[in-house]
Formats: sequence, C-alpha cells, structure tokens
Amino acid sequence: MGLFDSLLGRTKPVQADLDALFALPSASITLQSAAGTACSGHAGVCFKPPTGQGFADTETEVRSLLAMDDDSGLTSSQDSFGYQWLVMEDHDIEALVTKIHLVNSSLSDAGWGPQLLCSVFGLAHLPAAGPEDASREGATVGAGAVLPSTAYLVYLFKRGTFYPFVPTGHEQRSTEEEFKLRSLVADDLSVETDLDRWFPLWDLPVP
Amino acid sequence: MSTARNIPNDRGLTLRMFATGLMLVILYGAVIGALIAFGISYSVVLVFAAAILFAQYWFSDKIALYGMGGRIVTPEQAPELHGAIDRLCAMADMKKPRVAIADTDVPNAFATGRSPNNAVVCATSGLMRRLDEPELEAVLAHELSHVAHRDVAVMTIASFLGMAAGMVTRMMLWTGMMGGFGGGGNDNNNNQGGDNAALVELAVLVVSVVVYAISFLLTMALSRYRELAADRSGALLTGQPSVLASALVKVTGDIARIPTRDLRSTETFNAFYFTPAIAKNGVSISTIFSTHPSLDQRLAQLASLEAEMGRPS
Repeated sequence: MGLFDSLLGRTKPVQADLDALFALPSASITLQSAAGTACSGHAGVCFKPPTGQGFADTETEVRSLLAMDDDSGLTSSQDSFGYQWLVMEDHDIEALVTKIHLVNSSLSDAGWGPQLLCSVFGLAHLPAAGPEDASREGATVGAGAVLPSTAYLVYLFKRGTFYPFVPTGHEQRSTEEEFKLRSLVADDLSVETDLDRWFPLWDLPVP
Repeated sequence: MSTARNIPNDRGLTLRMFATGLMLVILYGAVIGALIAFGISYSVVLVFAAAILFAQYWFSDKIALYGMGGRIVTPEQAPELHGAIDRLCAMADMKKPRVAIADTDVPNAFATGRSPNNAVVCATSGLMRRLDEPELEAVLAHELSHVAHRDVAVMTIASFLGMAAGMVTRMMLWTGMMGGFGGGGNDNNNNQGGDNAALVELAVLVVSVVVYAISFLLTMALSRYRELAADRSGALLTGQPSVLASALVKVTGDIARIPTRDLRSTETFNAFYFTPAIAKNGVSISTIFSTHPSLDQRLAQLASLEAEMGRPS
C-alpha cells in the first residue's frame, strides 16, 4: 500500500495470484519419489462469499461449469468462520489443478478475486507400489485412485505461495511433518517464508 | 484497478480527508513560519511536545494495552479470535498483528501500535460476548483497516501541533499567574520594555489558544473521516457491509446502556476505539467535537456500499 493510500485511508483489495498453482503436479511427483506421498485427489477452494446477487450469480455459474464434468464429486459447505468451500475430487492431479484454476479464475474474472482466501490440496501416503491391488492398477502419479488426505498443501492466493498443513487431531498440528514437507517441495513450489502466515485450518471440509 | 466489483473509491471522503490534512499542514507551516519570523524561541516547548508524542507513538501498543488492561492471547487461548484474524490477514495480504483481549464488559475493540509490524488488535470480552461470529469478524476487519491505514501514526502527527499549542497556552498562563505578564520579576527591565514583553506574551497566548482550537477541530474531523474510511475498507474486506452495520447498532446501543462510571474511565482512549465510549449524557455535544462520526452517518455509508455490492453483474 502506497504512502498516499495510507494518508488518505484507502485500501486497495488485493487481487489473487493464480499462476503458481500449475507448479503443483511436479511437486506431487517429487513428493512421491522422495516420500511416497502424492496428491490425494481431493482439493478445495475457500472464499468469503460477499453480500448480493452478483456473487450468487457467479457462484451458480461456476458450479454449473464444474457439474458438466460428472466425476468432479463437487460438494459445497460453509465453515464456522463463515467462509464458503467448494470441494472437488479427481484422481488426475493435472485435471484437479485445472478445475481448481477454473473456479479461481472464474471468480477472479468476475471481479471477486479479493474474496478468495486459499485453495487446499490433500496429500496422502500412497500404498507401496503394489500391482496386487486391482482397483488401483497403475497407481502412478495422476492416475491413482482418490485417497483420504493425511496432510495438506495450502495455496495462499494473495501471496502466490504454498504452505504445508498437517493436522493431527483436535486443534493440533505436527510442525515436524510440516517442516519435512516444506523441505521436500521447496524446489518445486514457492513456499511461504513468513511462518506467521501458516495459519491452521481446523476441521477442513476436504476429505 | 479500484476495488472488488469495481466499487470506486469514495471521492468525497478522500477529498474531505485531503482538505483536512492540507489545512493541518498549512497551520503547521504558519505557526513555524510565525515562530521564525518573530524570532520567538519556543523550540524547548516544541522539542518537549515532540518527545512526549514520540514516546506516545512509539509505545502506543503498550500504553493502550496497559490502559485497557488488555493481555496478549495465544492461538490456543482464543482460537476463534485468532482464526478470524488469520483469515482476514490472508485475504488482505497483511502481516498478522498481535491479538489481545481486555477483560471489560464495555463492548469495544481497538487497534494500536506504531506500524503494521508492531500492531495489536484488541477486543474486549464484552464485545466477544455480545456479537456473533460474522459481526465480530466485521469489527476485526474495521480494526485491521486502521492498522493498514497507519492511523496511529497519522493521528499522532496530526495532533502534535494542537498538543504543542496547548502546552504553550498552559505555560503562558502559569508563568503569567506566577510572575505577572512581562518577564517575571526582572526588576532591572525598564517599564517600556516590560510593557512590550507583556504585549508579546499576551499575543502569543491568544495565538496559541486559537491554534489549539483550530487544530483540535481539524484533528477531530480527520479522526471522523478515518473512521469512515476504516468502516469502508473493513466492509469491503469481508464483503458484507450490513454485518458491520448490525455490529455497530448492537455495540452502540449497548454502550449507551452501560453505567456511566465504567465508561468515564476509558474515555481517554477514544481515538483508537471502534465506537467512542462516551457516557450517554455527554453525547449532546455537537458532532464537530467528537472523534467518531455519528451512528447514522456510518450506517448510511454502509447501506450505500451494500447497495453497490448488491448490483447484479
């Protein structure tokens, strides 16, 4: 914020930075080879729904766009802080990122970029590459099944950065696991350097 | 790029704020120019006033927290408050301030600290009990806007001249009473010189009273405009102006209902408050003397924002 905006008491709402999302698939590959972990196939977008019909129209539009793809498993919920979550699933990480980007860019193009809070991608431990599991044949990155998440990568729109979040129970997080994840993805993603901004997201609606 | 949904900046508000600030700057210039032109040395007073205000500014977080009995809380102690502030800061891309709670029943909140890096946002337990989650968030967004606008720094600088003029006035009255106008018991002065000195001192007294009055009014006006600006930015941040409006109505109604004695003890901190804690029988003073705009004015601004956001795309 510039000096004049300070002096005149104006705040410019911060626009969202969406491009860094596309680094995620390569981070997922790195994670898989280094730690046997990859994207679980679940992801969610979190935003603050503003008042008025204008936003409601845009949201309906986005949801009908996503519904065209029938296996997106789209659910919508509101958390205790009054933020709206659109949660979707796709076993193909590239497709998942594209869907998340679709939601983000639709909201942002309609002028709602400042309302975006974060996107969350679930991570899961892949079972040891076992061809014996018929339902997960060819469980490689991007072609595996959808697994329940054990850890998350949170994308902060306003910073264009990611941070790891590993909840371990009721309002508890494993800082150790988070630091491990950070060092693993640091080459592929721009990780948030200010640890104050690694805020916890308890009771994530992303499975 | 203006704002979300292309809601334009409030030109009128910006202009009024700019005009008020300009008048303050002109007043500063005039006073300093006059001091230099007349060769009057009040540098001691100015330095003294500057030192006090600088201390007030530098330690604003500690002073306000101490004065209000606020204590810094950790995320474990106040998860809802921290969660709401975390999210608002992430949306606004600002550094998270420290979070404090003051155990008082007066429903209020304030933000203080010399810069966004040293900011503290404090809510009273009375506020947290009365407001529901969205309303509390709206109030926090208002306070975070004060932090982002650097209101502590702006108001400190703005009130400097008024404070210096007030000190000069008090000093003159004091020396006048102690030794009589005219150089205070310097018997070697001839009468003529003594009269001149008395005249000069009287002039300085009158001028400093006038400067004090003008700068006081300007500072109050600036404070009101900055409240409106914080309301506006806060409402845009959450995207829900009417939630802030409902919080304002709740809090204002409650404040008027609370016994006078509690409120008097907090009046000194009004400039950083969400709503001023003035006892009800003191509200009748005209609005030009108050640090906060009237409730009607604030509600009207929020209503027009709500209308702008509600427009279909």
